[in-house]
Amino acid sequence: MAATRRFIVRQGDSATPVEVLADGRVRVGAQGDEFAVTAVSPGEYIVACGLRTWRVAVAGPPEARWVGSPGATACVDVQPEGQARAPRTRAVHGALAAPMPGTVVDVAVGVGQQVRAGDVLLTLEAMKMELPIRAPRDGVVSAIRCAPGDLVQPGPPLVEIT
Amino acid sequence: MIRKVLVANRGEIALRILRACDELGIGTIAVYSDADAGAPHVLAAGHAVRIGAPPPAESYLAGARIIEAARAAGADAIHPGYGFLAENAAFASACQEAGLIFIGPPPAAIAAMGSKISARRLMERAGVPVVPGETPADQSDASIEAAARRAGFPLLIKASAGGGGKGMRIVRGEAGLAAAISGARHEAKAAFGDDTLYVERLLTRPRHVEIQVFADAHGGAVHLFERDCSTQRRHQKVIEESPSPALTPGLRARMAGAAVAAARAVGYRNAGTVEFLLEGAGDDARFYFLEMNTRLQVEHPVTEAVAGVDLVHAQLRVAAGHELPWTQAGLHQRGHAIECRVYAEDPSTGFLPQAGRILLYRQPERPGIRVDAGVVEGSEVSVHYDPMIAKVIAHAETRDAAIDRLRAALSEFCILGLPTNIPFLLAVLDSPALRSGAVDTAYLDEEGSGLASLTPLPAAALAAAVAHVEAARANSADGQRLRHDPWTSLPGWRG
Repeated sequence: MAATRRFIVRQGDSATPVEVLADGRVRVGAQGDEFAVTAVSPGEYIVACGLRTWRVAVAGPPEARWVGSPGATACVDVQPEGQARAPRTRAVHGALAAPMPGTVVDVAVGVGQQVRAGDVLLTLEAMKMELPIRAPRDGVVSAIRCAPGDLVQPGPPLVEIT
Repeated sequence: MIRKVLVANRGEIALRILRACDELGIGTIAVYSDADAGAPHVLAAGHAVRIGAPPPAESYLAGARIIEAARAAGADAIHPGYGFLAENAAFASACQEAGLIFIGPPPAAIAAMGSKISARRLMERAGVPVVPGETPADQSDASIEAAARRAGFPLLIKASAGGGGKGMRIVRGEAGLAAAISGARHEAKAAFGDDTLYVERLLTRPRHVEIQVFADAHGGAVHLFERDCSTQRRHQKVIEESPSPALTPGLRARMAGAAVAAARAVGYRNAGTVEFLLEGAGDDARFYFLEMNTRLQVEHPVTEAVAGVDLVHAQLRVAAGHELPWTQAGLHQRGHAIECRVYAEDPSTGFLPQAGRILLYRQPERPGIRVDAGVVEGSEVSVHYDPMIAKVIAHAETRDAAIDRLRAALSEFCILGLPTNIPFLLAVLDSPALRSGAVDTAYLDEEGSGLASLTPLPAAALAAAVAHVEAARANSADGQRLRHDPWTSLPGWRG
């Protein structure tokens, strides 16, 4: 553990360089503070900088690492510096895919139909709530890849617009 | 006499009831769907019965299978919790026909209050004020549209059979009417198996104040004061408290009197809640009957805290034929209690419900804090059920102290693995409107959007995120270490 190791921590659109120094301290930001990190139980750490301390909990794989400290919780992506960002696992919001597993309850459009941005294309039901899937832009429906009653997963597009 | 209770529910409410039975020396039976094998409520029961596939219609709503399980396991009573079969009069009747005690009101009272048409008529006759509206006898689109025009905009279209915001639409004008009718009808059918719709004028910025009532089979009926549930998002309660900041002693007495009259009018027994909408505040405020929830409520711990009672114990005793354990004169509100509901939903993407595994779970523990949770670390939040993870209830001497206590508890509530509404709840608790007691039912929908912003992680949290990666890497790079507790390698991280 002698050499310094560099990482990039991404949260949403921001990327922060984080270095693990030879003595085990962790520097956050290019010229940022150095923190001493002590594990207190699996997934729980006390992080200290000078006289200040924080309690931080961590769980999950590097590309979807959950971090919580009092009042703030987020999912970040931790990669060694120089390595490409991990592919996003969550469906991009506003795309024509299911945002979460659910059942198709209604397909409101047909192939060849002209739609405008914001039109409801289909309606999913998940966790007892209806979730409308809306057109992200104007266009023509070129394919419909689901039918009412289908159980669908996030990922593949359910409708295509050209 | 009740010796063994089957709890026909899951999650936090199943645990709450199972624990109450344990405390009274009553045997317990849990039921579970395939999605809940190994769930906390299954482990907490003396006996557990698998009832079917994950979709509620094949498990927690499958009344016949649940009754069969109860008979096979030797139960003498069924507690339905809330949701699922709790307000299903046919299920309550079926229990009785099978020789089982239904821990709740008589089927006739559920039916009378379950239909908004009959509930309104009954309330009008009992002298309880009601909001202008109707359930058209002819349920065709044209007839519902005509009823909507009679009530006037803005209005609500709701499922006659339901509650909890499911199958409910706000319509502000002619333009959205047709879409709202078909949407409400579909959701009503899916959630309650009954797509009868009800149309009602929407009051301007009312508060939601409900009265807890309790009646026994010996003519006893009391109220246990109010809960103010005005902090709602799209008609889903987010924060509940008692006493209500809007009530004066005079108004409280009038509303409580109306609630007890409502309960007596339907021959009510066991725990129930009469919900009112309140326009204005103080002695001049007007209140209107909204609906009666013929069951234990999600927010019952708020009442338990301020009144110093155990409502589930009382439910079990009254269902067994005993008299109410309290007299009205012996009940008092002590201090202030406030509850918030922690949901697996993402405030940064329009509160989309979230499913997934809870990777790490640390719940707050401090004086005056109660946490009713349905999950443990490793639990899966399933797409099939409600996304509520836990309720956090704070009790203190004053309203300000209770809010401070709830805030502190929520800050240290750590749930990793899926987004929760905790940052949003903290922002609501910090808002001047909530602090001053001025929140009405429209507040969160109209002014709460700015409260959903993301709180950035402190730099220290990023340091721990990286150290955690490094610890895992160091462990896997050194094969023999894997055979030891991986955490023995961590002293290397001491600074």
